[in-house]
Amino acid sequence: MRLLVVEDDPDVGDDLVRALGEAGFVVDLAVTGDDAWYRGDTENYAAVILDLGLPRLDGLSVLRRWRSAGRNFPVLILTARSEWTEKVEGIDAGADDYLAKPFAMGELVARVRALLRRAAGHGSPLIRVGRLTLDTSRMSAHVDGRQIRLSPLEYRFLEFLAHQQGGVAAAHDIAEHLYGTADSGDTNAIEALVTRLRRKTGPGVVETRRGFGYVLSEEG
Amino acid sequence: MPLRSLRLRLLASAAAAVFLALALAGFGLNLLFERHIERREALSMEAKARELLGALRLDKNGKPFVDTLPSDSRFNEPAGGLYWQVTTAAGQEHSPSLWDQSLPAATETPRDGWRVRRIPGPFEQGLLVIERMVRPDQSGRAVLVQVATDDSALLDAQREFGREMVGSLGLLWLVLIAAAYGQVVLGLRPLARIRAELDRMRRNPGARLSADHPTEIDPLANAINSLADARAADVDRARRRAADLAHSLKTPLAALAAQSRRAREAGAHEAADGLDRAIAAAGAALEAELARSRSAVAREAQASERANVLDAAEAVAAVIERTEAGERIVFEIDVPEDMELPFAASDLAEILGALMENAARFARRRVAVSGVVAGDEVRISVGDDGPGIADARAATALVRGGRLDEAGPGHGFGLAIVSDLVSATDGTMVLGTGPLGGLEVRLAWPVLAAS
Repeated sequence: MRLLVVEDDPDVGDDLVRALGEAGFVVDLAVTGDDAWYRGDTENYAAVILDLGLPRLDGLSVLRRWRSAGRNFPVLILTARSEWTEKVEGIDAGADDYLAKPFAMGELVARVRALLRRAAGHGSPLIRVGRLTLDTSRMSAHVDGRQIRLSPLEYRFLEFLAHQQGGVAAAHDIAEHLYGTADSGDTNAIEALVTRLRRKTGPGVVETRRGFGYVLSEEG
Repeated sequence: MPLRSLRLRLLASAAAAVFLALALAGFGLNLLFERHIERREALSMEAKARELLGALRLDKNGKPFVDTLPSDSRFNEPAGGLYWQVTTAAGQEHSPSLWDQSLPAATETPRDGWRVRRIPGPFEQGLLVIERMVRPDQSGRAVLVQVATDDSALLDAQREFGREMVGSLGLLWLVLIAAAYGQVVLGLRPLARIRAELDRMRRNPGARLSADHPTEIDPLANAINSLADARAADVDRARRRAADLAHSLKTPLAALAAQSRRAREAGAHEAADGLDRAIAAAGAALEAELARSRSAVAREAQASERANVLDAAEAVAAVIERTEAGERIVFEIDVPEDMELPFAASDLAEILGALMENAARFARRRVAVSGVVAGDEVRISVGDDGPGIADARAATALVRGGRLDEAGPGHGFGLAIVSDLVSATDGTMVLGTGPLGGLEVRLAWPVLAAS
């Protein structure tokens, strides 16, 4: 799998390239924002590790350009700034994860693997159920054509319901799918998840069948 | 030693100036009174002199004589206090009250009116004399007519007047000093206000002197305000520079970490371990310094900033949901849409970020963020369904976290940053067990400041 590392500090850049290479990836290195933007725009990377403090064109601007051009590879941002407002700004700009410098290389590799795992395995890009449209390649959702911001967990929940093809999914099964294991307390977590999701989608997308479980509404 | 107290100085100079003015006034009044009673006495003596003139004759030698003595009996008692005397070149006649004495002669006595003067007289009396030259018959010979009275009554009246006047002027002096004291106190009161406001500025460096001082004080207040602004800007610049320095050190630290990995690969495990420890310590020190500077800024921030709690919680949740620790966590955010806190949104993001990230790390499935206005407090709690920590240890974690440098990155470090920021924004922070069963951090800010 091919990764792009964007880092202007030569020591850190070389180290990233070597460590990710040892982890089995093919790694390209870009040291300026312009170069990074061009490569990301023209080549297909499985994921990008993006330093925010870049000469000429800063990391956030590069990321925004990629996203507005429809480039949807997962991006992990590296930043010397550890403030939450910076993290929020990064996620808003379209990042999928962040790591503050200085970081442990082991953690970075693990994060990259997690990003790739999340993004993997989506063959057919669009699933439509009623008013809901799921874009499996971008892990995003639209309701009535309006995009809603989903957390990965919320996305996986909707995707699971979508795959039931009109059937009702029991909370226990959903929990098992989301968490791998499930116990009686997890139905509360699913209920909380649905409550939070409904606040984003509005009513009439996820419906509750009391005593049975949840289903996506098929009404358009 | 010069007087240090402005109040004493003003009072002393006012007292001295008023004393001088009153002394001059007293002297002038005394003079006026003396002239007044002399004039009145002279008028009554002129009446007696006219009676005398009516009876004044000259004999053939030119010696004067008086055929009917004036009626006032004091003219007849020796040293009786009232005297007359008529004098020509040929001889002299005087009242029986003069006994064997005579009034001192006068020179250049006017012919057209009475001259008044005070002279020492016989019988050790001071005298008030009126005198003039008259021509009683056609012979044209001039007679010097003098009527005198003992001036002790005048002196008594003068003394009495003086005594009373000194008493009342003294009283007036005291009243004027009291008025001056009131004026000084009133005049200096704005300075006391300035002092109180400066004290407030010391406690809250973001505060400034108010703009409604008297015109004379206004330039001083403005000067102090601009000095404070300049100092605040200096401090701000220094703090920014320190923060920039801390941030700029992070990339070299990451580069050092790369060198350490290289050393480890080359077999220098001990050197790599040492490097890693040094990198971790330096990183922790940088984070601590950044957190401290953030708290300092929050403490001085203007009260005009507002942070929407729901927005901050949602933004932070959106970040954590994308991280590995947070991707399996459901955030239950139950906060009123219009709930606000009186400080910068970035500070609230820092507080909620550290708490929610911490909660997500320890939670099994759920993290609950709730906000309520209860009584006079805005309460925000962040709880999880993780294993939690015993309350006794919660307190310890906070105390340990209170020392940022020693806490290091981890559980206590995040809580220490939050604890610092919460107290910097006048809030309180308590740890306990929440309804989900795990650790719950309860924050509260006074509602007055919050709305």
